[in-house]
Amino acid sequence: MTTADAAAIAPVAALAFGACLIVAIDLLGKLGSRASASLGAIVALGAAVIAVAVGPGAPGFGAMVARDGVAVFFVALIGTVTAAVLVLGAGYVTRDDLPPGEVVALLLFSAAGAALMASANDLLILFLGLELLSLPLYVLAGLHRARIHGDEGALTYFLLGASASAVLLYGTALLYAATAQTTFTGLGRSTHNSLYLAGLALVLGGLAFKAALVPFHTWAPDAYESARTPVTAQMAVVAKVAAFAALLRVIAATSYGEAALDWQVSLAALAAMTIVIADLSALGQRRVKRLLAYSSVSHAGYVAIALAAAGAAAGPTIAFYLAVYAALTIGAFGVLTLLPNDDPTLDDLAGLARRRPVLVGALGVFLFGLTGVPPTAGFIAKLYVFEAAARGQLLWLVALGVLASVVSAAYYLRVLLACFAPPRLDAIAPGRARVGTAVVVVAAVVVLAVGLLPGPLLDAARTVRF
Amino acid sequence: MPVEILVIPLIVALACALPIGALARPLAVLGGLIVAADAAAGLWLGYGVSSPMDPAIGSILGADGFSGAMLVLTGVLFATGAAASTGVRSPRGYFALWSLLQVTVSGVFLARDLVLFFIFWEAMLVPLALLMWLWGGADRRAATFRFVLYTMTGSALFLIGIIALGVGAGTFSIPALAGYRLSEGSQIAFAVLFLAAFAVKLPLFPFHGWLPRAYAAAPLPVALVLSGIVAKTAVYGIARICVPLFPLGMSDLAPGLVALAAVGTLYGALLATRQCDTRGLIAFSSLSHLNLIGLAAVLGTVEAARAVIVASVSHGLVVAALFLLAGMLASRTGSSAFATGGLAARAPVLAMFTTFAIVAAIGVPGTSGFAGEFLVLASAYVRFPGAGLVATLVVIVAAVYGVRFLRATFFGAGAARGDDLSRRERAILIPLFVLILVVGLAPWTLTDSVRLVTAQTAELHR
Repeated sequence: MTTADAAAIAPVAALAFGACLIVAIDLLGKLGSRASASLGAIVALGAAVIAVAVGPGAPGFGAMVARDGVAVFFVALIGTVTAAVLVLGAGYVTRDDLPPGEVVALLLFSAAGAALMASANDLLILFLGLELLSLPLYVLAGLHRARIHGDEGALTYFLLGASASAVLLYGTALLYAATAQTTFTGLGRSTHNSLYLAGLALVLGGLAFKAALVPFHTWAPDAYESARTPVTAQMAVVAKVAAFAALLRVIAATSYGEAALDWQVSLAALAAMTIVIADLSALGQRRVKRLLAYSSVSHAGYVAIALAAAGAAAGPTIAFYLAVYAALTIGAFGVLTLLPNDDPTLDDLAGLARRRPVLVGALGVFLFGLTGVPPTAGFIAKLYVFEAAARGQLLWLVALGVLASVVSAAYYLRVLLACFAPPRLDAIAPGRARVGTAVVVVAAVVVLAVGLLPGPLLDAARTVRF
Repeated sequence: MPVEILVIPLIVALACALPIGALARPLAVLGGLIVAADAAAGLWLGYGVSSPMDPAIGSILGADGFSGAMLVLTGVLFATGAAASTGVRSPRGYFALWSLLQVTVSGVFLARDLVLFFIFWEAMLVPLALLMWLWGGADRRAATFRFVLYTMTGSALFLIGIIALGVGAGTFSIPALAGYRLSEGSQIAFAVLFLAAFAVKLPLFPFHGWLPRAYAAAPLPVALVLSGIVAKTAVYGIARICVPLFPLGMSDLAPGLVALAAVGTLYGALLATRQCDTRGLIAFSSLSHLNLIGLAAVLGTVEAARAVIVASVSHGLVVAALFLLAGMLASRTGSSAFATGGLAARAPVLAMFTTFAIVAAIGVPGTSGFAGEFLVLASAYVRFPGAGLVATLVVIVAAVYGVRFLRATFFGAGAARGDDLSRRERAILIPLFVLILVVGLAPWTLTDSVRLVTAQTAELHR
């Protein structure tokens, strides 16, 4: 192992070793839920810091693991988000009487898989990362055995997820048959033949599943609803960020050179379908987590717009969008983790504005941000996406995206307005989770700060290029 | 100079996070007054020359005569509305949102960049919707929802236009875009996209579906600023963005828009004659006046630009007085339905003040209403005599609804209750009346200071 190898794999290794360490400590002497969550959060943040501190440089393992701007940005994002999820999840571990060390370790392993996916420069590494990301999430989704419904959602997630992995693996095999290699750099030098194109289509399908793009999104509402809210947040953010990072690499590898592929039509079609179907489906939802599930599907559509319009050059745009989306989604799910009911309907939110005005204020920021209303960061993120689309001559997608944002206002507003309904007498008052509230408030401040001063995040996102 | 116009209300909003309780209202009034004085000073000292006032951020923020006049009106109306917001629930939250609304409205008048304009334009919706939803009357849910979806749909088309135009031209700066010449066809397309937002917010007939419910359900001070100044952001958008950026397109669209506005003017006035509720009366008479202002805004001549400024300021002042008086009446009779009459004997000062406000709304010479209406109609006759003629009929209809309201409320043999105006109520109203008279007797105080900029607007139009 050379220095370059070590540098390329350092954040992933930190996450994996941290996970093992926490299991070991937990075996030796019982760790409390709060202690293990804090330890896990430190490990996750540490991985993010390592990624930034080591910075971009030469790839490792014979160019199989990249260490470019793309990897650094997305690994840092994944680490930060995982830390927030861990802090928000501490309360759940206590409440459900789960083994704290294992839950934390599983979340860290999934983050390690996501980080590996974001740095993968080879189809095999990509598959390895995907599995390392998915397997812990399957376990976490079905961890609370007391709930029949939970098992059903977890099983759906596992079966569909395993099929998607199989599809990706089959695509990898076809690509290997067509090009005799598995590295992304090799893909770009290939000629077009049916094996190659079929292989790429299958890889795209596998990644679209993880990113929850329509028509590969059907698992998302069930899985999001049945999983515990922090796990849902991990699925909705970390898995999606990793999938889009990998997709960006595949597109970048295949859209230059003499055998360049034009991804625009297929991605634009996926984006349009995703936005329309997700927004229409969300309109009828009464359960907040299902509603947020469709919302996260719809946001994947906006990322796909940027990818369709600019291809590999969309790196900065989608990096900015995903970072903002991460803050908004973690925040929105974070507010839900602080409620007494794990799977609230809109009616369960009644009276929240009076009882917890700070939470509702933050939730308002997140919901306006998800809609894309200024001065939140959500507006700036969508603006960059639409600007990219206009530059890429996809004005019809701009029109579709903007109008879909208006439709989305209808369902996001309903959630916010539900908080202001008069409280029900039988409602359980939410507990005062100081740490969780702090995470949510920080996310809201970040959303507003980036909305008012997008410069620093934009500079960071500009490093996401090849 | 423009920066403090945004910063002062922002400080007031932030101060409301501290436990200041009863201090929030005087602070908000003070914030409005300082902004009004500041903008007025700027208007007389230098806004007349259309140049960015602050070199540091001058490229994106700046004020000229038109925005200066609107900013004075913003300050006056926000101070008045805050003064009238007595006894609201959770005053800190209310006044924080109130001041944020002031920031966003002022921002619209200051933005010199389309994206920034849109940010303020869309951000205006957040405090407005929350104020309506949380402090509104009985119908507030449906009213807020309808208002938000109407305006967001308009804004969505506006945003599509901004992105397509900005990416095509390579800049979002409004002065730079004014020099960017598009083909006639794309000018029409862009003008339609931009007008979608302005027509809904004004609201131009027939996009006024949200208006009656929103005016009725919003808390009274919010309805006051909604009609008095928020609607003027749309007028400002038409006159200062659509006309200079798409002169040919607006010129092609003008006949249709003028026809709609003329119909809307008459339609609003006719509906106002059938109202039995002060809020409804003000809503439809506002619809009528706003369409009349919109009629002038699309014309794009020097005279029309001058008329738009005078009529906008006048309508803002008059509608503020009317809403305040409606609130004072409602607090005496217990509802906003027309009182049973006879109130003039019990409350002569209230009757006198209301009569004055109605006279100004009808547009009797000497009041600002006359100056605004006359300038608008005069500028309309030049290019569209037919539409001008139709719109002129509004003068008769306005007299009908005005007198009908006065008779029903104050005269005749009714069993009226309630005291006369208190000293505080008079103190809020009298400054408005003074301003109405000043603008009415000497409208050149407004038009002179903005002469340069209107000439420039007209030149762009050519």
